[in-house]
Amino acid sequence: MASLSLKHIEKIYENGYHAVHDFNLEVEDKEFIIFVGPSGCGKSTTLRMIAGLEDISEGEFLIDGVKMNDVEPKDRDIAMVFQSYALYPHMTVRDNMGFALKLRNVPKEEIDKKVDEVAKILDLEKLLDRKPKALSGGQRQRVAMGRAIVRNPKVFLMDEPLSNLDAKLRVQMRTEIAKLHERLGTTIIYVTHDQTEAMTLGTRIVVMKDGIVQQINTPEHLYNKPCNLFVAGFIGSPQMNFLDAVVEVKGNDAFLHIGDDVLKMPADKAKILKDGGYDGKTVVFGIRPEHFGDGRGQEGKQNTLKCKVEVRELLGAEVFLYGDINGKQCTARVDPEVDLVNGMEATYSVDMRKIQLFDKETEKSLLWAV
Amino acid sequence: MTQNEKAAAAKKRKHAIMIVLLVIVFILFIAPFILVLINVFKDQADITANPLSLVGEHGFTTKNFPDAMAKMDFFNVFKNSLIITTCATILTILVSAMASFVIVRNGKWKACSALFALMIASMVIPFQVLMVPLVSVYGGVFGILNSRLTLILMHTGFSVSMATFMFHGAIHSNIPLELEEAALIDGCTRWQTFWKIVFPLLKPTVATVAIIDAMAFWNDYLLPSLVLTDKEIYTIPIATQAFYGTYSTDIGLVMAALLLAMLPILILYLFLQKYIVAGVTAGAVKG
Repeated sequence: MASLSLKHIEKIYENGYHAVHDFNLEVEDKEFIIFVGPSGCGKSTTLRMIAGLEDISEGEFLIDGVKMNDVEPKDRDIAMVFQSYALYPHMTVRDNMGFALKLRNVPKEEIDKKVDEVAKILDLEKLLDRKPKALSGGQRQRVAMGRAIVRNPKVFLMDEPLSNLDAKLRVQMRTEIAKLHERLGTTIIYVTHDQTEAMTLGTRIVVMKDGIVQQINTPEHLYNKPCNLFVAGFIGSPQMNFLDAVVEVKGNDAFLHIGDDVLKMPADKAKILKDGGYDGKTVVFGIRPEHFGDGRGQEGKQNTLKCKVEVRELLGAEVFLYGDINGKQCTARVDPEVDLVNGMEATYSVDMRKIQLFDKETEKSLLWAV
Repeated sequence: MTQNEKAAAAKKRKHAIMIVLLVIVFILFIAPFILVLINVFKDQADITANPLSLVGEHGFTTKNFPDAMAKMDFFNVFKNSLIITTCATILTILVSAMASFVIVRNGKWKACSALFALMIASMVIPFQVLMVPLVSVYGGVFGILNSRLTLILMHTGFSVSMATFMFHGAIHSNIPLELEEAALIDGCTRWQTFWKIVFPLLKPTVATVAIIDAMAFWNDYLLPSLVLTDKEIYTIPIATQAFYGTYSTDIGLVMAALLLAMLPILILYLFLQKYIVAGVTAGAVKG
């Protein structure tokens, strides 16, 4: 297993398109790193640069301290699982899995032994003599994983490996991958645009947008302390609610005015607003759907927001209430016993410890740095 | 009669006309082959008397075969045809598959695009335009005519454009780039990636190119007649000249020679048929 170092990596294509800007990351041994972001954010390009499938325009990429910029993909000791699995259609599952070892002139008996071992782990034993076209999507995905595992490489790269699977299988495979990481103790870099995968699998997440790294940290940190509006909106499902709020500072206290509603800031946040000179300015107030109270019996109380419920979605263990707060669409996650239905007026209490505040101009968090 | 019934009747009529037309075309295509088959087992007199009768007055005979084989030096010309066809076909497939791989995967290189455009352009030049300069340059200037190798290289040269065009389409639409990337990461060099991953996946196209070119090389008369002058290296089509005398032609022997010439390529076609259909339709629909 290995540690990786990406220093000031840039990717500029021949047509001048700047796909990745100043990418810096230190990956420790056995880490499960997730690159997450919307389509076109440069996450796959970065992964491909690590694999050696794309040239690095500027910067340095090292594996275990050895510069890899100009090293051929085959000599980097990495394995990659592709979005389309990229199984060789003319080879059986066994041949697909043993191909890399065969190229390295490993004796046939040893290849067979390793393939059998990995097939057992991935429950592929009965499929070893089949060709990829005779496999289901989930089985192909497992073969692609097996092909990578057999090699016992320094680093695993995975490019949206679950995106071609149906929702149920995706959840199942997600757990399988998590178990595999624990079992094999490998360094994995995993690309996805699915924030659920990012949150559940990663030891650290790299959030990217337009080729720029927004924040690198643990899932919990990104969820609770997003450094900007983009990260706050991208991490978490349903996404965080954002409302424009006008700041009023009175002595050591600070208040947020959202329409007719007024929220009193806790002392630490009030100090930040006061010291930052936000009195009279508009900031972006953020709150996750689960940080609203249940909306019953809160009328007249402090730190509440009025909302007109438009859609009630029952998901079994919880209910999503979609509604309008001061002209902005908002979501609240409440208990199924809450009897609010479409068209009703709700008054949500707000958990002031969990709120987020962002500068309206720079979109940076007022509470947390990167 | 309702509208639906009228439409159904019209559809039926159209179908019947189509069947009749297809039968006529089929008969036109199969007739020469049938003529060869029924006359090859008759003697010269029976063929002349009634070429359409199934059995002649003198009965069934297989004498035409040994006579034809002896007169045309069959085993030697068969060997020549086999060597030339096999070598030229293999060479065409290897050269064009590799060339098209380079062209497809380096689409940004202007040299590749220019080369490919040149190949496509060369396909529209008729052979007859080139044949006189070809003979005068290779015969008069280089003096390398009358050699099997020259004919093999010429066959390859003339067929490489079309084959490259076919492989280009097959690689472009049927071989995902990710497969090659997976192979590179697994440890393949570019050379190994082509031979271990790409080329095996081109099997339908290889079969199509093989049958089209083998048929063309085996049956070709014009180019071998210009290149080969020594009887020892004649191919089968050139050797059948021996039966066409100035004053008389033994049709029975001609029929036997034609059947012997046809059979190998017919067998090859039957073997490769399923791949040819796959090769022709490859990439037509999303898999």
